[in-house]
Amino acid sequence: MATELASRAEQPAQAKQSGAARAQGSIGSGIVLRDVVKNYGDFRAADRISLDILPGEFITLLGPSGSGKTTLLNLLAGFQTLDGGQMHVDGAPIDHVPTHKRGFGMVFQSYALFPNMTVTQNVAFPLRMAGFDRTTAERRVAETLEIMRLSEHAAKTPSQMSGGQQQRVAIARAIVRRPKIVLMDEPLSALDRRLRESIQIEIRELHRAIGSTILFVTHDQGEALTMSDRIAVMDAGRIVQIGTPVDIYRHPQNRFVAAFVGESNLIEAEIIQRRGSMMALRNRAGYVFEADAGHGVEVGRATVLVRPERIAIADAPGPNTMPVTVTSALFLGEVLRIEARTDSGETLLIRCTDTAERALPAVEDRLHVSWGAADCWVLS
Amino acid sequence: MLLLLPAALFLGFIYLLPVIDLIRLSVSGPTVSTFFERVFSVPLYWDSLVRTMQISLTVATLCLLLGYPTALLIRRTSGMTRTLITAGVILPYFIAVLIRTYAWMVLLGRNGPVNKILTGLGLLDEPAQLLFNRGTVLLGMTAVLLPIMVLSIYSSVSRLDAALPRAAQASGAGPIATFWRILLPLTLPGMGAGFLLVFVAALGFFITPTLLGGPGDQMFAMHIVQQADFISSEGFLQALAVVLLVITLLFVGLAGHALGFEFIWGGGKLADGQARAGTSRKAAAPHWRLLTGMADRIVWPILRLLSRLHPAWGRWTVIILGGGVIATLILPILVVMVISFSSASYLTFPPPGFSLRWYEKFFSDPNWMEAFWKSSVIAAASAVISVVLGASAAMGIVRSNIRGKSVIMLLLVSPAIVPPVVLGLSLYSLFLRFDLVGTIWGLASAHAIGGIPLVVIIVSAALQGVDKRLEQAAAVHGASPLTVFRTVTLPAIAPGLAAAAFFAFLHSFDELVLSLFLSSAQLKTLPLMLWADINYQLNPVLAVVSSLEVLLVVIGLALAGPVLARSRAGA
Repeated sequence: MATELASRAEQPAQAKQSGAARAQGSIGSGIVLRDVVKNYGDFRAADRISLDILPGEFITLLGPSGSGKTTLLNLLAGFQTLDGGQMHVDGAPIDHVPTHKRGFGMVFQSYALFPNMTVTQNVAFPLRMAGFDRTTAERRVAETLEIMRLSEHAAKTPSQMSGGQQQRVAIARAIVRRPKIVLMDEPLSALDRRLRESIQIEIRELHRAIGSTILFVTHDQGEALTMSDRIAVMDAGRIVQIGTPVDIYRHPQNRFVAAFVGESNLIEAEIIQRRGSMMALRNRAGYVFEADAGHGVEVGRATVLVRPERIAIADAPGPNTMPVTVTSALFLGEVLRIEARTDSGETLLIRCTDTAERALPAVEDRLHVSWGAADCWVLS
Repeated sequence: MLLLLPAALFLGFIYLLPVIDLIRLSVSGPTVSTFFERVFSVPLYWDSLVRTMQISLTVATLCLLLGYPTALLIRRTSGMTRTLITAGVILPYFIAVLIRTYAWMVLLGRNGPVNKILTGLGLLDEPAQLLFNRGTVLLGMTAVLLPIMVLSIYSSVSRLDAALPRAAQASGAGPIATFWRILLPLTLPGMGAGFLLVFVAALGFFITPTLLGGPGDQMFAMHIVQQADFISSEGFLQALAVVLLVITLLFVGLAGHALGFEFIWGGGKLADGQARAGTSRKAAAPHWRLLTGMADRIVWPILRLLSRLHPAWGRWTVIILGGGVIATLILPILVVMVISFSSASYLTFPPPGFSLRWYEKFFSDPNWMEAFWKSSVIAAASAVISVVLGASAAMGIVRSNIRGKSVIMLLLVSPAIVPPVVLGLSLYSLFLRFDLVGTIWGLASAHAIGGIPLVVIIVSAALQGVDKRLEQAAAVHGASPLTVFRTVTLPAIAPGLAAAAFFAFLHSFDELVLSLFLSSAQLKTLPLMLWADINYQLNPVLAVVSSLEVLLVVIGLALAGPVLARSRAGA
């Protein structure tokens, strides 16, 4: 599907490996936000947000509801006006350009398909507004419908289609003009899990094929990790961290990001020794472990993130293990999800792959856990 | 099914039977068509029929042109502003037509504020006669019927997904393209419904053209009332009424065919599926596509030129037109309220001084007080009849699985579209036969004919808002059907019932046309007293009565407002 589109696009985008290389040969636009402010009465929905989006990048705004991600999207779309700061697209300010002249594509949470039009008319709408001639428009619409596997539904009205199909029509309408920027406002939140996963992959491939810059808003951290080149995690009107999915997941910069993205064990520990770039810590249960002392934590106490899947378990005590008591154990198919309590009363969440050797532990079973220096991350 | 029976029997006896009798009388001449031939051969009636159509069409068009920006204005505002604007539309909707017409007479009268302003500005040398011409008829009728149009359009505007206009903009459509391609097509059903409701109501209008029109503005309903004074015209009189009835039903039928009959009661959920089927069928019809295609080809290029204007133009058009409409609806009422405190013994604005003398006169005059109490008693009795019969019928429709729900609903609601003049005339002979003329229960029952549709519409909407699973949950946990009703259903619809009772009361309290036919010299209701006085002397006591009525509506709405808002949120 992706190659099909790439060969047809007037300006074929190259397959891209990293965010930097992506800039070359892509048709997407770069977006620069500087100190963007938006207030609703006393509530500051966007609090001096600055963000550089590279041309052709797939960037996700991730955050809980009320964190300002939709506000930022609405500001970019031009549905709301800035209370402060600047927005530039490809170096030009867009604050005073009305929505319909910005030339973006947009996918809405509710799809917002025009109920009075057929699928074809919906997809043709942006071309019609842009004044394309009839033959070009018809060809473009047919192409786009084919890419989105909607050709057989062309004559239907939105109300005659399933949620997943409506979603694909909405995407088709957003990309039909080959916009330099596509905004997506939680487009998958109304779909069931299986469908969501397949459309995630579809959007991802589509992005690679059309090369537009995509700004994607979601509160689903799994979705953000799967799809993005970079993720901007938002909280209370600010961007609290921005980085690649791997970066965000492995090296969160604060408790909020650590807890919001993925499942986490945040362990309070005491720094007992520093040796060069490494340091030794001891948690309240007396378990001693090493961690990378890379950034700035001095002596005293530290919060250490250990992801549940990084915790190793054994049935018998070994060198440097910590005994825990199982409080719950769930079989989730490919993984086991175990909650356990340390002897000093802390709760640990553990995920391990299901193997033939390991039986599902029972509540009150004693296990012995451990983790290495590479498995933990000291929060600043 | 049993629940429907009382309402069916009541309406069958007091509504269907008399109408059938009316039709029978109209064909009782030497030949079946004798009376009808006379209706159509006498230029007086034929001209009046044509005039009625013209006026109704003009009024409906004016309402549409002015109502649409007003509905948009409500949609675009928020918070307190929206509440005030909405109140500005809804409040007049519930104030009696008679009073609102009277307010226009005050406003445009020789000593009224309009004349004062015009002479003050030097545009007129001396106060002119602004009343009693075609212009005031159109103005008055448009003002009286505008709320129906605004509410009808707003109900379809408010149902739109707010993301749709945004999606259009994001797709490159400017404000005008968004309006023409998205907003207008999607609100077409609301516009159609509003247009027909206004048109049909205007066809049977009697009060406003009588008070504001001149000799050349006789509408058809007025002829029926005038002819009713001559006993000799039996048969011919009924033929006139049948003509009006048939024309009304013809338009309702045509509209129902195109829009679905649900437009009469605001397209409840009851028939949602059917309404949608109706629109898609219409959309597929070739002549419909041809029509919209043509409209598009003609209008779109013009609008495209307009789109070169600054976007602020569109916004200001909406604000100015919408704001103007709200002002036109509210100002006359305010002027009347101010005049009720006047110290002058005649109508003049601004009043030379303020006093409570007219309030004293009203409360100390035994005639006014008797009329007030009789009206209250009749309205209370009528509300009881309406609520008991209407609520049980609504229950029968919503909570049972009988077939033809839409047809039954249509029959229950149909009295709302029959011109009151026709209804009054047909009831008159029934009342004579059973010696009900001028009795309190007779009037209360007659008023209940119009009260039942109100109750049925409100209560069935409230019932549909009740989650069926709540009732099922109660039943699963051991509640008998009666207990389920008492503990789950009744509390949930109680606000709706209260609102229905209030509106049924108000309907009867304001009713004039039926009372004109069915009352006697001994039984004067408040609207009858007002009617007599307006024709006889325009003194400030009428302003007092009007102000009290406004007060009643305001209190009622203030009590019912939160209730209605809640039931809407629940639905």
